[in-house]
Amino acid sequence: MHILATEGLTKRFPTVTAVDQLSVTVGPGVTGLVGANGAGKSTLIKILLGLLPPSGGTARVLDLDVTAQGAEIRRLVGYMPEHECLPPDVSATELIVHLAQMSGLPRTAARERAADVLRHVGLAEERYRPVGGYSTGMKQRVKLAQALVHDPKLIFLDEPTNGLDPRGRDEMLTLIRRIGTEFGISVLVTSHLLGELERICDHVIVIDAGRLLRSSTIGEFTQATQTVTVEVDEGLDALTARLASDGQTVSPQGRMLVVKVLGPETYDAIRDAAVDLDLCLIRLEQGRHRIEDVFREENASV
Amino acid sequence: MSEIYDIGYRHYDGPRLGRGYATRALALHSLRGIFGLGRPARSKIMPFSLAAIMLVPAIVNIALMALLRRSEIPYSGYAVIMQAVVAIFLASQAPTAVAPDLRHRVLPLYLSRPVAINEYVGAKVAAMTASVFLLIALPLTLMYVGELVVDLPGPPATGEYAGSMTMALVLALLLSAFGLALASFTPRRGLGVASVITVYLLSFAAVPVVYGTLASTGNESEASWAWLMNPFWLVDSVQSWVFGTPPHSIEGDYPNGPASAAILVVLICAGLAALALRYRKAAAR
Repeated sequence: MHILATEGLTKRFPTVTAVDQLSVTVGPGVTGLVGANGAGKSTLIKILLGLLPPSGGTARVLDLDVTAQGAEIRRLVGYMPEHECLPPDVSATELIVHLAQMSGLPRTAARERAADVLRHVGLAEERYRPVGGYSTGMKQRVKLAQALVHDPKLIFLDEPTNGLDPRGRDEMLTLIRRIGTEFGISVLVTSHLLGELERICDHVIVIDAGRLLRSSTIGEFTQATQTVTVEVDEGLDALTARLASDGQTVSPQGRMLVVKVLGPETYDAIRDAAVDLDLCLIRLEQGRHRIEDVFREENASV
Repeated sequence: MSEIYDIGYRHYDGPRLGRGYATRALALHSLRGIFGLGRPARSKIMPFSLAAIMLVPAIVNIALMALLRRSEIPYSGYAVIMQAVVAIFLASQAPTAVAPDLRHRVLPLYLSRPVAINEYVGAKVAAMTASVFLLIALPLTLMYVGELVVDLPGPPATGEYAGSMTMALVLALLLSAFGLALASFTPRRGLGVASVITVYLLSFAAVPVVYGTLASTGNESEASWAWLMNPFWLVDSVQSWVFGTPPHSIEGDYPNGPASAAILVVLICAGLAALALRYRKAAAR
């Protein structure tokens, strides 16, 4: 089942083509939408919300047509904008309750849902204070809460980690992952930082200048490469010599050893060497491609 | 020791109401905002003190009715007499209804929900109209209750009271359409306040200038049209025509009643159209 599907979707503005013949499908789970600034991510989200009419092609969200059933779509999806969008003089509770009502929840249900969702995004006592005095991290949480409050089937998160410090970024990413798994709400999250999406996405779509560069599962992006990193407590030199004599290609990297994988026998060789030399093996880790590398390759080939 | 357990995420499977409900919720939320309810205490000072000032003449008049056995302030003239207070209320509160959503870009949070832009604008106009109406209707009603309690000689002026309440609603709609349109074109709150009050002062100051010039050159009948340049006297002239109340202009009669009514309708439509256009542009952003 597809959460959303576009077919030849195009959006032309007077001076620029923001989305160009985009055909892509997205399944349930967490999907990353990656592209540089101005790649057409935000325009695509506005089209999917039924707020911007496409110049050509079709798009369906939750099996509803974006041009004809926009209001129906907006009832079932949540949207977290990229920019600041919170009025400063109301409290988070007041704002979220109000926006829940705007999504059609009766007043008592709106209150319950607002309290629930503010707890889930991690806002405690401060939710009764005016939003104007919040830190960037807290504002991002309020923005996320308003997108979740009506229990949507799908949420669009536009650059949710923008402006956050490393810890806030980590917490936000963990939360997004939870939304996609525990909460059972599908997520389409945009970012220009690929490393972030790698951690939380099941599927990644890469667009550039409104065109689809690549759409595939995260596994294909971060396929295992042919190296394995070994870390031992001490005796690194002995291990290096032993593995080299076994015919393995070994290169030391600081306190670790990178071994080229020739086949399953490489793992056996490392295990046997560690046992024979009576070494304390701390880590054995597969080397991974980062999505950045893929993006770089794609860019180079375009 | 109590401990809060994480009971996990709960889905919502209750009713999801329609756009009519959402529009009403927005209107109520805006109305609360205009009076500063659910906002910090300083947001309540202006609206509530102006509402209190509006009540003072009504209370004084009740006292006069009790002591002198006659009413000094007619219902039909209340809005005209208190027009400066009503105008200050409009200028200070119309920007709170529309400016934050534009300035802080809250509009996308509304537009990503089922309500459409016209319903958003409609709710804002309804909220502002209700607030201005409340401001005028409260002292009128207080005065009417006072009149019934004091029991003046002769029948109570129920007809005049009802007419004044109707015209208060029309006046509130006219003022709101213009106040919100001006405030939405100047999304900084201070600028919005200044622009609304400036337009009101111009409309107030222009009347004696135009009237005086025309009257002194002997054009008495043309001079009477000057009253229609101010929203309060414009509505009073329609009231005078529809309900037969005496004119509350400072001197002279109003011109033709139907013409006043036509101007009133055109102005309300113009204000609403300007608002709609402003928001169509804001929504496309």
